[in-house]
Amino acid sequence: MAADPPEGRTPRRVAVTGIGVMSPLGNSEQALFESLQGGLSGIRRIETPFASRLVNRIYAPVDCDAAAHFPPPKLRMLDRFSQLALLAAQQAMTGANLQLDALERSRAGVFIGTGMGGGHTTDDGFQALYANGATRLPPFTVLMAMQNAAAAWVGIEHGFNGPNLTFSTACSSSAVAIGEAWRRIRDGDADVVLAGGSEAPLNFGTLKAWEALRTLASEDARDPAASCKPFSRDRTGMVLGEGAAMLVLEDWERAQRRDATIRGELLGYGLCTDNDHITRPTVAGQARAMQLALDSAGLPAEAIGHINAHGTGTIANDAVETAAIKHVFGAHAADIPISATKSMHGHLLGAGAALELVATLLALEHATLPPTINLVQPDPECDLDYVSEGARHVTGIDVAMSNSFAFGGTNAVLICGVAARQA
Amino acid sequence: MTIQDASTFDVLCEVIAKDHGLAPETLRPETRLADLTLDSLALIELIFTLEDRFNVVADNVPADLPTLGSVAEYIDGLRTSAGLAAETDPAQAG
Repeated sequence: MAADPPEGRTPRRVAVTGIGVMSPLGNSEQALFESLQGGLSGIRRIETPFASRLVNRIYAPVDCDAAAHFPPPKLRMLDRFSQLALLAAQQAMTGANLQLDALERSRAGVFIGTGMGGGHTTDDGFQALYANGATRLPPFTVLMAMQNAAAAWVGIEHGFNGPNLTFSTACSSSAVAIGEAWRRIRDGDADVVLAGGSEAPLNFGTLKAWEALRTLASEDARDPAASCKPFSRDRTGMVLGEGAAMLVLEDWERAQRRDATIRGELLGYGLCTDNDHITRPTVAGQARAMQLALDSAGLPAEAIGHINAHGTGTIANDAVETAAIKHVFGAHAADIPISATKSMHGHLLGAGAALELVATLLALEHATLPPTINLVQPDPECDLDYVSEGARHVTGIDVAMSNSFAFGGTNAVLICGVAARQA
Repeated sequence: MTIQDASTFDVLCEVIAKDHGLAPETLRPETRLADLTLDSLALIELIFTLEDRFNVVADNVPADLPTLGSVAEYIDGLRTSAGLAAETDPAQAG
């Protein structure tokens, strides 16, 4: 669902005025864009001491030493997912050049998605208690591990005291966070929202838990960086990554009044749930989320010129998503360039949708679509245009879709457009 | 110098300086925790660290420890009690 605004209210347009990125492909939007256009992979072999106890020894980490960014007293209160969120939020705020007075801050919110929350803290606590026989845990443990820690810290840092919400719907968490923020601004309930996602699942306990699900990719024997192969017949699964992406979303007219640089427009949001199974996606559910997003944007299917696919690289998702795209777009599906950027940055779980929306906005802004790398064996069930040849320069594409589908069944789809697009 | 010989206040200053990025020479017994922006959670963390350093157990932390001197005095009391216990029970000395 993405219902119409409350009766009597004129829907407001929603501008993107700031972007922040901490990702396996670099720690700025510029670095991310360059890596995506170059078809580079952020996936690598795990070299940590616990690697020998893992079956799946590949991941997509962020190159970030938090001690270089936070003083010791603050650092000790921040799980890595909060660190990454704060750093991405700071970039987004700097880019937006926002100065808010007290009244404006009361109408400014923070909406963050995360699937696993402060997993490093939880894992460290278990290690201390069960393996090392500790009799107590650090006093900040709860405040670091709680799911809303990242959003809380971002709100504190920037003094936003409107709604501060955390969304946890597994792999679609940050699509939901961004979509719900879009609704708040569209409906006039908030003027500015820092929205996005953060995830830091690359600790031993979380990696072992994911390993047990049997959805992780096998390491490519020739090139570990090429292990994630969305839409390719030889795909074996997803690669876990960490990171954060944050966007400043703002009432369009407000952004224009203050002469902000508008990076793009958020146009639509579709949300629905699969009930068949806790992990198995359905064509009908994914298609319905895409259609709801089109409906909320008031756009025909033919308006979509590019899709950033959920494209995890799992056997189940990629075939289902291909069928769902065909169901929604019909003959037009074959004309839509589809990119699975997870092939490069891995699966950031609750932060994935936010990073992929940033990738989508940058693709529109630069008229250059990122490739799906490692797609070398065509799959008869995945027979659309996945931009497998490398980055593609395009003209005339001004609206794109970003798909996110989650364990637990929450399907969330966002639609964005170039800033110069006429409403 | 072993930890048994170290001044509680000196160790306390060393811990605070390291954890909170402060210059040890600026810390005095009369320095208020509030002036260092150490809140109640930071005090608990500090006491946990001092427990580990001096091998004492702080199971009844007073509600009112406003200054560095009062924290050091409290830990000193625990050290004295632990020392007396060790003298009467050699098994606790290790």
